[in-house]
Amino acid sequence: MKNPFDDFREHRTREREIPLDSIIQSRDRVMSKIIKGYEKLLEEEVKELVWLVQYNTVIKAYTLAEKAVKEFDYKAEDIEEFCYELESTDKIPYLITGPAGIYISALCNYAQEEEVLLKLNDLKTQINLIGYRLPVGKKVAVEGNMGDFTGIGMEGGELVVEGNAKNYTGAGMKSGRIRVANNIGLHTGEWMMGGEIFVGGRVRGLGKIVDGKVYEDEKLIYPRNYRQSNVYY
Amino acid sequence: MIPEEIIKRIWPKIRTKHLFPELPIPKVSESRENVALEMKNKQITINPAFSDKIAHKMDVEEVIEALLDHGISHYTYCPWDFHTHLRLFAEAKRIVKDKERAKRAAGLFMDVVADTYCVKGKKTPLPELYKHIDKGKVDEVITSLYQRIWGVDLCAKEDREVVRRLARIPYLDKKQWNKSIQKFSRVIKVLLEVEEEDRQEGSQANPMGEHGLDGYTLEEIDQGLRNFANQNVGLKEFKETFEDFEDELKEVGYGMEGGMGRGEGNPLDADLIYYMKLAENHSIPIKKLPMEKRGFLNPHSHCPWEIGRPFQDVDVWTSFGKIMPGITQTWNKIEGSTFGEKESVPDCIIIIDSSGSMTNPRKNLSYAVLGAACATDAYLRNDAKVAVYNFSDAPMGGKAILNFTSERDKIYGILCKYFGGGTALYLNELDPLLEASREPDIFIITDMKITNLGKVIGYLNNIDNRITAVYIGENTYSLRFREAMERKKNISFYNVTKREDIPKIVLGKIKEYFRGNL
Repeated sequence: MKNPFDDFREHRTREREIPLDSIIQSRDRVMSKIIKGYEKLLEEEVKELVWLVQYNTVIKAYTLAEKAVKEFDYKAEDIEEFCYELESTDKIPYLITGPAGIYISALCNYAQEEEVLLKLNDLKTQINLIGYRLPVGKKVAVEGNMGDFTGIGMEGGELVVEGNAKNYTGAGMKSGRIRVANNIGLHTGEWMMGGEIFVGGRVRGLGKIVDGKVYEDEKLIYPRNYRQSNVYY
Repeated sequence: MIPEEIIKRIWPKIRTKHLFPELPIPKVSESRENVALEMKNKQITINPAFSDKIAHKMDVEEVIEALLDHGISHYTYCPWDFHTHLRLFAEAKRIVKDKERAKRAAGLFMDVVADTYCVKGKKTPLPELYKHIDKGKVDEVITSLYQRIWGVDLCAKEDREVVRRLARIPYLDKKQWNKSIQKFSRVIKVLLEVEEEDRQEGSQANPMGEHGLDGYTLEEIDQGLRNFANQNVGLKEFKETFEDFEDELKEVGYGMEGGMGRGEGNPLDADLIYYMKLAENHSIPIKKLPMEKRGFLNPHSHCPWEIGRPFQDVDVWTSFGKIMPGITQTWNKIEGSTFGEKESVPDCIIIIDSSGSMTNPRKNLSYAVLGAACATDAYLRNDAKVAVYNFSDAPMGGKAILNFTSERDKIYGILCKYFGGGTALYLNELDPLLEASREPDIFIITDMKITNLGKVIGYLNNIDNRITAVYIGENTYSLRFREAMERKKNISFYNVTKREDIPKIVLGKIKEYFRGNL
């Protein structure tokens, strides 16, 4: 009787290694490290699932995030991918926009690249605190809308938001430049010590600004035409 | 050598390489000059003009082998079936937000997956083909991606930023295809916009051929839609995706069966198709009409005859011809059980509530319509006919009636009608339907918030047909209905609060099968 598998006898599967395999393997390795770092931050910081943006908590969380991200190498694309992973519950237990923003900011600040582009238009969640402590020589460009406290405590870097930003944008920033293509919320530049904020659309309200400049549609609105803080325009 | 001869010669080798796909031998046919191959109903057709065009750069046999590897990899790996095709398209559309660009993005993604699968697992001249093929801007980017992920020099100019992002996508991980195509679309979105602006009218976007629906049979399309509807996509997304493919579906003849003659034909109704496909996924069992007792008395056993008992029951053979107590035997007769007719499923009248308190089936998934659709499907599968009484405020004209029919489209058309008014039944209108068929089953699906619920209870109490009453959600009206009808043995109740409750319905289930005991 003829063996029905005879036709396949000479067939040899030719699974060869292609560069894609190693790219994916290294990407997965990096991503698991980034996720582990974030989980560690959550464990330390958000024991009760409530996280308030306070001066001390932000500093403490950033210190932890800084420590975590210094331990591994990653690329700008990994940061963007991590932002999307934050929304997939199968990999990350929960997304808390505050610590997530601080962690992403630390990732951007310590990235190998000088310029980090994050295409976040399709992200459902608006992440807070993006651009925290962005240092001199670094540029972060974000496509999509950002949450509260965008670019707070900036230290000389450039943050570009191709979308809207919410309240307290540029709060406490020391130097650097924030460009928001569309609109911006209340308390803009609260306790801002220096630097510039450029807004392509409307500024809903200014905060108590110490120093620095705020432009609305290329017109200087602070300090030249000083407006009352938190006036609804 | 002419392409037909080359194909004949290399086809056995290619079939072996791809583990004997069930495809007929490819054909050669002149078509639009810049399309390399087409696949219609599993038939691959190669355009000789394409191979001639690059013959001076590459051996024709290799060109044909590469084209066949490409076409077969689509068939055996990605998209594999119409459901995957739809799924990938829907995910791409979420990102690029435009029908044509989403189709292009899905097509490119499927190309990358199929070609990478082929290059990784098989000996193929595909890289050589991509090296020599004429390319547009986007194709150039894709070729440079191949260059990066295959590790072969394809002489493509590399857009580092884009390729770096594209190269990080796990193309060969099927489980991640949904996420992967989103990433892929996000990266090439801008390129597609530029390409669309640049593209001249009528020019072919993909030199390897577009990924239309021609490659699928009608059964595959049907199965694909069924799986897509069942894949937790909402009505809105299904409708949107279906409408994006509507023209192509019509072109391949989907939903046009039996349409002889002339005329434009009916537009395909995405809502109806959605409920139809969902219903096909939820099969509801029907109890066939059971064995019934007939009035005939049949001899069963003997007992001694006593004075006063009728003579006609005497068994003369066992009584030895004598009439004498103690000797004479008489027959004990019992009612015989027999099949009155062959077991079958009666026709069914579906009474569906489409008043304001019910969900509009064209806006959101309506459990009432889905339940009724499942019932329809179950009866039609059993060769029974279905009549529909769709009511809102029936006395005020808010109703639609369909006589017994087996035409699925018509039934679904009435089921999906939404009046959105008050809720009252005009019961006399059910009588002609009840008379039009022999003891039809009744399937009523409503939230029971019916103005003349008392009359409805009275009416249903007076009929002996099998009734399946499905009430959506729990409320005092459904409780009242249930309490009033509970003693009737020809009625079964089901409560539907979620989609998963629907398959639990058993149509025509009655407490007592023997109608005589009712």
